Amino acid sequence: MGGLVVPLEHVLLLAGLLFICGLTGLMIRRNVIFILMSLEVMLNAAALAFVAAGAYWGEPDGQIIFLLILAVAAAEVSVGLGLVLQIQRRFKTLDLDQASRMGG
Amino acid sequence: MMTPTELYALAPFIWLSVGVIVLMLQIAFSRSLNGACWVTNLTLLVALYSMVGHDPAGIQVTPLMRIDALGLMFCAVIICGSVVTSLLARDYLKQRPAENEEFFLLLLLATLGACVLVCATHVASLLLGLELLGVALYGLIAYPEKGERSLEAAIKYLVLSGAASATLLFGFALLYAATGTMDFAILADKLDTIQVNSNPIIVLTAAAFILSGLAFKLSVAPFHMWTPDVYEGAPAPITGFLATVSKGAVFVVLLRWFIDGQLYEFRGIILGLSAVAIASMLVGNLLALRQDNIKRILAYSSIAQFGYLLVVLIACGTLTESIPLAREAASYYLLAYIITTLGATGLLTLLSSESARERDHIGDIVGLFWRRPLLSLGFTVAMLSLAGIPLTAGFIGKFYIFKIGADAELWALMSAVIVGSGLGIFYYLRLVFNMTKNPRQVHALPQQTSLEGRSVLLLLTLLILALGVYPQPLMDYLSAIL
Repeated sequence: MGGLVVPLEHVLLLAGLLFICGLTGLMIRRNVIFILMSLEVMLNAAALAFVAAGAYWGEPDGQIIFLLILAVAAAEVSVGLGLVLQIQRRFKTLDLDQASRMGG
Repeated sequence: MMTPTELYALAPFIWLSVGVIVLMLQIAFSRSLNGACWVTNLTLLVALYSMVGHDPAGIQVTPLMRIDALGLMFCAVIICGSVVTSLLARDYLKQRPAENEEFFLLLLLATLGACVLVCATHVASLLLGLELLGVALYGLIAYPEKGERSLEAAIKYLVLSGAASATLLFGFALLYAATGTMDFAILADKLDTIQVNSNPIIVLTAAAFILSGLAFKLSVAPFHMWTPDVYEGAPAPITGFLATVSKGAVFVVLLRWFIDGQLYEFRGIILGLSAVAIASMLVGNLLALRQDNIKRILAYSSIAQFGYLLVVLIACGTLTESIPLAREAASYYLLAYIITTLGATGLLTLLSSESARERDHIGDIVGLFWRRPLLSLGFTVAMLSLAGIPLTAGFIGKFYIFKIGADAELWALMSAVIVGSGLGIFYYLRLVFNMTKNPRQVHALPQQTSLEGRSVLLLLTLLILALGVYPQPLMDYLSAIL
């Protein structure tokens, strides 16, 4: 294992920034597709942090978790896109605020 | 290489996976709702039977899973919960003709995910279990073909649960960066040295991320926004499944991580958890007062119930000797909660099975006592148990919470539990009073629900009463195995 070339803090900071970008996008965007993209950014931020931590400790575990996260994110988004098709057909819009019928 | 003992310990998981494949093939060759239901139940029963005779001391199978008494007991509870859900769902789906067989496929997958989750001792198995459960649930919530509410509920649940998973994973990544381990048991040693050597700021940040991710899934106070909408929009059997199996499994994994990893030694975590617990007891109970939809009432009530349950974790921090009692208390409370909530949502499922519409408004149960005395008696018992009235399982659960809270001298939390329970009695009894009202027009009796559904409900009611009147055997059993 080569270990981590850059300091661990830098990578964690980058991952943190990406996570915050994703979270902000999730909260201010109203279009379902963009919300799913923001979700993907958040998941990948966590995956990046795992890879960095794995390299720092010189273990392959971080990369294995990265692969698992990749698979999980793909499953989430594929179900999400299925729902997007249904929402477009049912409500004729992808804006979640307009499609919202219930109280909360 | 896996030894036969380890393979035998994994038998329930293997049987569930085999069942998923068999069911998928069966659906591909011939569609039949009854057939799918029977394959599902057969799989669940075989998985349940394969758990008999395991060593209660526990066995570690690969670093990922620990098959011990706690895990096996909750696997059994989860599987029983799925049997109840699938029996009730069959009548419900018959009223809604569509291609309904995949419902059972998703149900089996979600069950497998929940079982993996309660045995997880590693980040990887936690992630896999959580997502297997979560992704199957998105499909189940969105299942009704014409429901607008269910579609909205599903997308809300998907987005928020995905965000919660990402938060949880980010927290675990930070924890891995700080400690170099993803195993819960090794985590404890590493955290000890960190606490002694350097400042624990990164561990506290990581724990905050992880706990808020799990809090989302458990829907405790600042993270509870999705709960009422998802409960309302989901089909009635799935509301029950989500409230019991999904939340119960997540709480068990939280308990494992928290106690095995000895996170209770951090003062900051305990303070944060206390704030969250008090907030969810008050918010859940106060907001439930103004609801007219029974599923929404149950949603807010579950927010409060998990607030009470968090007391158990907090008590570990102040009084380390109380940890065995904490496991016992959490198990009893969760069992009582799961049985009670399955009973309450079971009635809603039975009512909704008689029409194509969801019957979850408070108006739908007015006068039910005169039309369906036995069913409404069962619902009354479930409500009394949720309120924590003596002679029901909920009372013993709450008694455990009081005992453990008083031992650890958590007086602020205890007063919040008392205030919350007081408020709770009001809205639970409101539902009961609505059932006893004499309606002007007595509807002509609609078609009868099936025998399985009614007998399952009766059995749950009897269990609630049995655990409340004669709790000693279960208490002894729990303290012996945990």
